[in-house]
Amino acid sequence: MIATLGHVAVVIGLAASLYAAGAFVLGGRREDPAVLASARRATYAAFGLAALACLAMVVLLLTHDFSVAYVARNNATTTPPFYSVISLWAALEGSILFWTLLAAGWASLVLYRYRARLPALMPWVGAALALGIAFFFAVMAWAGDPFVRLTPIGAEGNGPNALLQNHPFMGLHPPLLYLGYTGMAVPFAFGMAALITRRTDEEWLAVVRRWTLVPWIFLTAGIVAGAWWSYAVLGWGGYWAWDPVENAALLPWLTATAFIHSSMVAERRGTLRTWTHALVIATFVLTLVGTFLTRSGVVNSVHSFTTSGIGAWFAIAILVTLTGALSLLLWRLPDLRDTRPPGAVISRESAFLFNNVLFLSITFAILFGTLYPMIVEATSGARASLGAPWFNLVNAPIFVALLFLAGVGPALPWGGASWATVRERFALPILAGVGVTVAAWALAVREPAPLGLLGLATFVLTVMGDEVLRGARARSRSRGEALPRAVVNLATRNRRRYGGYLAHAGICVMAIAIAFSATLASEAIATLRPGETMSIGAYTLTFDRLVTEPLADDRRVIETRAELTLAGPQSGPVATALRDYPSSSTAIATPSVRTGLGEDLYVTLLSYDPVGGSATLRVFVNPLVMWIWAGGLIVALGALFAIWPDRRRLTAGAPETTTGMA
Amino acid sequence: MTLARPIMPPLPPRGRRWGILIGVAVVVVVIAYLAFSSVGGALVYYLTPTELLARGDAAIGETVRLGGLVKVGSIAGVAPDLTFVLTDGTSEMPVRSASAPTRSFREGIGAVVQGSLTASGVFEATEVIVKHDENYVAPSEGGLPTQGFDPGT
Repeated sequence: MIATLGHVAVVIGLAASLYAAGAFVLGGRREDPAVLASARRATYAAFGLAALACLAMVVLLLTHDFSVAYVARNNATTTPPFYSVISLWAALEGSILFWTLLAAGWASLVLYRYRARLPALMPWVGAALALGIAFFFAVMAWAGDPFVRLTPIGAEGNGPNALLQNHPFMGLHPPLLYLGYTGMAVPFAFGMAALITRRTDEEWLAVVRRWTLVPWIFLTAGIVAGAWWSYAVLGWGGYWAWDPVENAALLPWLTATAFIHSSMVAERRGTLRTWTHALVIATFVLTLVGTFLTRSGVVNSVHSFTTSGIGAWFAIAILVTLTGALSLLLWRLPDLRDTRPPGAVISRESAFLFNNVLFLSITFAILFGTLYPMIVEATSGARASLGAPWFNLVNAPIFVALLFLAGVGPALPWGGASWATVRERFALPILAGVGVTVAAWALAVREPAPLGLLGLATFVLTVMGDEVLRGARARSRSRGEALPRAVVNLATRNRRRYGGYLAHAGICVMAIAIAFSATLASEAIATLRPGETMSIGAYTLTFDRLVTEPLADDRRVIETRAELTLAGPQSGPVATALRDYPSSSTAIATPSVRTGLGEDLYVTLLSYDPVGGSATLRVFVNPLVMWIWAGGLIVALGALFAIWPDRRRLTAGAPETTTGMA
Repeated sequence: MTLARPIMPPLPPRGRRWGILIGVAVVVVVIAYLAFSSVGGALVYYLTPTELLARGDAAIGETVRLGGLVKVGSIAGVAPDLTFVLTDGTSEMPVRSASAPTRSFREGIGAVVQGSLTASGVFEATEVIVKHDENYVAPSEGGLPTQGFDPGT
């Protein structure tokens, strides 16, 4: 009954979104507000229907209705309610359903916000968004129906994927990532609308910039939360493995970040306009590519391609979108000529240009590295993989160069800089960077990567600090404000600029933390019998006992726990476990992570001997890891600060164009 | 605002565009060189014991992933001196592992080891990855980062 309701909601949702797409085109061409209003309402209806279908699925999961195949595969009678609810996005069909809800949500939000603005653009924006939603409904209707029935009905289901019910982060990381992914359809829709209607002006850029930053914040948070989840759940002591699925999330983030930067040049200087449009297209196509890579099974083996109908749908969608969007872009090239000459080699726009070249280089390098094993397999039949060392080797220098530009760019004037300006702006930051590096060396940091990044990050932070102070001092002189007051006023009146600085500061924090944790972590493995101890760094771990018992909130899960006592800079009891889930033949690690400001102590149980009561433990001391998450949060907050609505602008009733220096 | 807006520079000399283009070209070439010169060496091939042996002496020292079944009765010792035999039904390869595999490692299970063949004919593994069985649905379905393989070794 509920499954039928869900299925019907999907079918009507498909009809509603197709109607919306058609009505937007028709209403736009006839400039008929009634037709356009009905198109908007149809989009809202599609959102409501997607929500209804999601609700139906959640009810089915919560009531453990195993007559539905998806529930039988991803739920069990013992699954706790929280994990039942988040099983909505734990597997293929459910995640497409959830995805549709988010895509329709973004579309409805945008159409509602702009219902009385940008009358020339919005019909096409609406048409593009509605088509996107229709695609997802169609995938569910034909290729991946989440409400497929199962006969005979079993008394018990498989339970969720063991990895996905082991940590509450599963409730946070996928929604954030999906919000980022689906939201990138909005700038794409605006981009297409602008090309179709030939309104590729600054107004368009300001709207698209804002609507790229909104999903960008979610994407950033989702990627960082994913790394955190990987760290907290997988038990290997790391957070980023250059796994194809991780790369898939990073690719659109990279092009979106490139767009955020190039759009400022396009807006301020009238150059890089075609490029900026191309980035909007690339970002959206890469979200489709990412979905394709993660959903079709194509990255594990070329041969699993034919087994997944959804893969074919996405492959076609990618081809159609890419050829359609690029043809449109080529057709409108004459509209996108630079309106002004390029800047000097040493100028802010050049810094932005090189920033974009580097972002695109990373994107291509990662895309190439992700697809290369597939190409090798397709051409030679040999199965191969490209490991993290290659990705690190290629990408680390580019990231370092990008960080350098983050320091250089903001201090260079538009147009061109004289050597005198360059000397004046960079003397102090260079000194500061060198000073911190020397100080760190004196404090016995000997690895080149952390030393170099510490110096570079200090350089970048000093350039920005110097910039803020210069501006605040000038303001404080001219208006007689106290310096802290002047900083606040300056920042809230130039949100984009100072939000950007805050985001860069977060990147600096992350860069230092990554450099330290990647090179200065230590690791020890030992097999202990009860009463025996092992030590790593300044810590001593005493193995007390091994406990095997079912989990309190899911009796089918058997947990074998090593209980230890920790002594050292941090002390107290530590418990690390392996869990046996009925749905998995592999025991799932449940590492114990003791997070500190300076370093994490990470203890994971590799294996145990139930007869002798001994345990094999792997222990890491990972420096500064929490600063990766903190840095990610600062980046997201910086972007949020940048797009926070400006009260003065709203009360003035001005259109949503952004003023101030970028 | 914070920066004195520079006076619009005079129209750029033709050299300016070239300066930037050359800069971009240099960056792209350096990165492409970094990427392509190392990709052949960094590629880790996935082989069966038969395929590895067919490579002869050329295989010695090359980092590969070797996949097969853990031969029944072959497991001895513990890491870092764990030894076992991987078989693909045709050929067998003795493996010595420096790292401890996860608890699900047992005789008869499918396993992938990463490491290299030594001149003595023993495969020295730095990593043991236990293959998930047929019922395990993680890699492609959840679509969540780091599910592509299980690094929990």
